[in-house]
Amino acid sequence: MTSNVVTVENLVKTYPRITAVDSISFKIDEGEIFGFLGPNGAGKTTTIRMLLTLIKPTSGKITVFGVDALTDPAKVRQISGYVPQDLSVDGDLTGYENLLMYSKLYGVPRDGREKRIRSVLENMGLQDRSGDLVNTYSGGMMRRLELAQSLVNRPKVLFLDEPSIGLDPNARSIIWDFVKNLRNEFGTTIFITTHDMNEADALCDRIAFIDKGRLVAIGKPSQLKSTVGGDLLMISSKTPGCGAKLKGLGYQVISNSPEGNFEMLVSNGERVIPRLLEDLKANGMIVESVALKKPTLDDVFQKYTGTKIAEEGETSVEVRRTRRTLRKLRR
Amino acid sequence: MMSLTTYLSSILTLAEFELRKLRHDSSQIWIRGVQPALWLLIFGEAFSAIRGIPTGGFTYLQFLTPGILAQSVMFVAIFYGITLVWERDLGLLNKLLSTPVPRSAIVLGKALSASVRGVFQALVVLALALILGVNLAVNPLSVLGVLCTIVLFGVCVSCLSMGLAPIFRTRERVMGIGQLLTMPLFFASNAIYPTSIMPDWLRVIAIVNPLSYAVDAMRALLVTGDFSTIPQDIIALLVATAILATMASLTLKRMVS
Ligand SMILES: Nc1ncnc2c1ncn2[C@@H]1O[C@H](COP(=O)(O)OP(=O)(O)O)[C@@H](O)[C@H]1O
Ligand SMILES: [Mg+2]
Repeated sequence: MTSNVVTVENLVKTYPRITAVDSISFKIDEGEIFGFLGPNGAGKTTTIRMLLTLIKPTSGKITVFGVDALTDPAKVRQISGYVPQDLSVDGDLTGYENLLMYSKLYGVPRDGREKRIRSVLENMGLQDRSGDLVNTYSGGMMRRLELAQSLVNRPKVLFLDEPSIGLDPNARSIIWDFVKNLRNEFGTTIFITTHDMNEADALCDRIAFIDKGRLVAIGKPSQLKSTVGGDLLMISSKTPGCGAKLKGLGYQVISNSPEGNFEMLVSNGERVIPRLLEDLKANGMIVESVALKKPTLDDVFQKYTGTKIAEEGETSVEVRRTRRTLRKLRR
Repeated sequence: MMSLTTYLSSILTLAEFELRKLRHDSSQIWIRGVQPALWLLIFGEAFSAIRGIPTGGFTYLQFLTPGILAQSVMFVAIFYGITLVWERDLGLLNKLLSTPVPRSAIVLGKALSASVRGVFQALVVLALALILGVNLAVNPLSVLGVLCTIVLFGVCVSCLSMGLAPIFRTRERVMGIGQLLTMPLFFASNAIYPTSIMPDWLRVIAIVNPLSYAVDAMRALLVTGDFSTIPQDIIALLVATAILATMASLTLKRMVS
């Protein structure tokens, strides 16, 4: 039996000009990878920071592993790990020192400290560079160090705020592997925010869509995708009467162009195609091309909010890059 | 409940890693050593020649050295709020606040970090004064006393700076407010002339000015040998530190929200 280790009820955060988080409620199971997917400014970071007791909610209730985050914040922080959206490792210290500092701040006992630091360094493939100043690291290495740093207190729940933003595909896949391993090997519960639907799809057991501070949908990726009504199947055929024939065969045709392009909604598109082609051939129709488009989480998001997540991506990447540059400038 | 040892060790940890940063890059200490050096060399030598300031039987450079020691620490500490804003901007402060370390321990740890820098700064100035041949009572007791005074004074002033940082929020403004404060703090104190020559209104400022107490204690230790006012100096600094540290701890949260 699984238990809810994070519960959030009617959580609200209002700023003078804006309601950043607008009465959201959700529960996370133990060992679950739970994703918050939404565009920039949706309220993801604000939510994470309330869960981590960094800012006080305007109203609402949060418990983390049975601990009330409002009355016992230090206890929540002790069992949580955090990789913030911004930088969390100090460029003027070495990789090793960054880990040592946080082990000490979390009160990791002296005798287990070195071993633990060595193991997280190896885990992230940083043992060779651990004696170098972090200022000399690449963006991807820095991110891996931040992940290593978030593990020094062996957190029961790990909060990752846009962990792969601004990283190249290779560095990104290292992070995805890391997240999956952590859950599979140690059963760590993971809360991850992202505006990247592919990331959410690849990693998360369950996803909550957040838009303008509100949760608009919540569920398993497959469930969510099934709500948009199936796969989009497109065929083109110049044979006259094809559209009528498709309808006659019972297909749900949703668009129909004079050039002979037809779009229809089907479930399990890859299984439908062979049968469709046979049916059409038997009826004397010549099919020129077939294409299948599976629904994406972006389609789901669009269904619920009327907008797409994707377009916003670039600015965040910029933000992160600027921060990295800023950090380098300081030297 | 967090035990006192955990609390203290968190403070020391923060200072320890400041020390490690200094070890990686000590150039700042040398660069910041130039200004106090110029004060001793130019201002000190010039006013020694004028002989216009009553220094109670000591040479003007003897009188001045503790003042410049305290000044060099004050410059490090009064601008420490900028470091706090910088770390907020980068995100480091956010991360630090996500640990179970209490806010007040973070403030004190950061303040002690400023003092760590101040100590090295002061050692540079002290060495320079000795090279210039200033006659100072340098013995283990006086040096230890001076270091303790510097640590306490550094904590005090950096708490002031960190308490102001959440109000002024940007690096530029915190820098501006630091510059605004250094002038009156330095000149309305006993650092470069005795308070006895001041008009009454200025002397009032000097009396509430922590710098005066730090200078007085160090002057007693290094120059006059009259330790009778040291207890009240230390108490004054402790009270100021307690008030300013409390203020800084209470406003720290505003830095990240
Ligand atoms: N300290 C703050 N003061 C005022 N508004 C804020 C503050 N922090 C966040 N916001 C606003 O709250 C909204 C949600 O922000 P955020 O949680 O950072 O979004 P996300 O992480 O999803 O991009 C944004 O409109 C943002 O401008
Ligand atoms: Mg965010």
